[in-house]
Amino acid sequence: MTLPLILLCIFAALLELDTTYAFQTLLSRPVIAGPIFGWLTGDVAAGIQVGIFAELLFSDISPLGGIIPPSGVVATVIPLLLYAQGIDLYFGFFLGVCAAVLYSFFDALLRKTRFKWLIFLEKRIGRRPSDITRIIAITLLLSFLMTFIFISVLAWASSQLMFVLYPYLTPRMHFAFRLSYLAVPWIGLAALIPVFRLKAR
Amino acid sequence: MSFWLRVNMFFRSFFLQAGWNYVKYQNLGFALVMLPFLRRLYRQDPEALPSVMNRYLEAFNTHPVMASFCFGAMARMEESVARAQSVADYKEQVAEWMGARRGLSITAASIGDRLFWGTLKPLTLLLAIFIWMLLGVDFLEISMHPVPLLYAFTAGAAAFFVYNAVAQFVRWEGLQIGYESDDKSCFGLTRFDWNRTIYNAKRIGIFFAVGLILFGVYRFFEGVRVDIHFIARAMLVLFFVMISFVTRRLRIPNVYLYIAAVIIFNIVCLI
Repeated sequence: MTLPLILLCIFAALLELDTTYAFQTLLSRPVIAGPIFGWLTGDVAAGIQVGIFAELLFSDISPLGGIIPPSGVVATVIPLLLYAQGIDLYFGFFLGVCAAVLYSFFDALLRKTRFKWLIFLEKRIGRRPSDITRIIAITLLLSFLMTFIFISVLAWASSQLMFVLYPYLTPRMHFAFRLSYLAVPWIGLAALIPVFRLKAR
Repeated sequence: MSFWLRVNMFFRSFFLQAGWNYVKYQNLGFALVMLPFLRRLYRQDPEALPSVMNRYLEAFNTHPVMASFCFGAMARMEESVARAQSVADYKEQVAEWMGARRGLSITAASIGDRLFWGTLKPLTLLLAIFIWMLLGVDFLEISMHPVPLLYAFTAGAAAFFVYNAVAQFVRWEGLQIGYESDDKSCFGLTRFDWNRTIYNAKRIGIFFAVGLILFGVYRFFEGVRVDIHFIARAMLVLFFVMISFVTRRLRIPNVYLYIAAVIIFNIVCLI
């Protein structure tokens, strides 16, 4: 991996913290993160498209209770990284969406793991309440590191996979991926109508 | 509640979900936000602080923005707990505190989920798409024309500022309102007409959504010669829209519909 790629993964991991663990200003939502990543990878227009498509596709999943939606950051950064390396956007988008779904399972695993530490942490806070600030800082740092590793590994693996597979992809497969990609905004918009249904005052 | 204490709690509230776990949810974040207030309240009796903190480390889960009402209300009720004159009074105050925490967190979560996740987030998405369309960004085409940097960030910035103007206002005001109100006004939650706000926002949302679909359809038909390829493409779009309604009824997320479409199209194309 090159230095710009590592820096981009660090930035993506930092942005991903905004989704759940810190701030939640929605800076990490695809419609905002997409153009930023597009600008950093050299094509703002592609960033806008991926951002809109990803957000429309995930618009029917909200983080209610313990539900973890697919990561918008992962879904935008991976296609744009691949696109910058010459892979068509519709292939990258598919890999990005799969990686985003995978990330939600990975995040669920992190949250389960955190519980195992909870008893120990609570005892420590019970003894010295001021330690909670340090504990939260360490938790954030660990979340960042795990996300950085996840994004870096998946970005590297998906680019290697595409370089191996790309020469073998037939025009028909290109057509199939392109057709599915172009259907995404329509699927998303159809899902948005019920969201705004006026069922109760 | 002094201004600087409010600022401190407001800043800490951004980290409410930092220690999110599947058993006690936001308990670590809740304790983190309340710590400055508890330190000030129990400064005459610092030995009491660890046992008080244990109460704040019990399960807590609510909407991260609406949580500020809970922080304000819990701070006010903690003052009553600290003022308890006898053991019986203390137990009664603690029981009230626990009941209020549970009830208020559920109510705040319900309002927050409907307002922020269910309405404001999709509404700001539509706002961003609308701005991009007004600026001539054609995102429905696979090969897009270059977009000026200012155009690219204008729509995203609008979505960001509109969402955060509401969210940070509620977060900041909720702290004070929750602290000043009592259980008769549901700790300040009745100060705003949430249902009316959500209803009006949804009305704007439906207007944007229908407008966007009509514009998309117009772009789809614009300058196209009606031939077999066009009809096949139009049928396909219609098919996806219909399937999307069906999968929604079956509670299957759209993301799986897309993945299934890729797999099925590839199989069909390979055959």
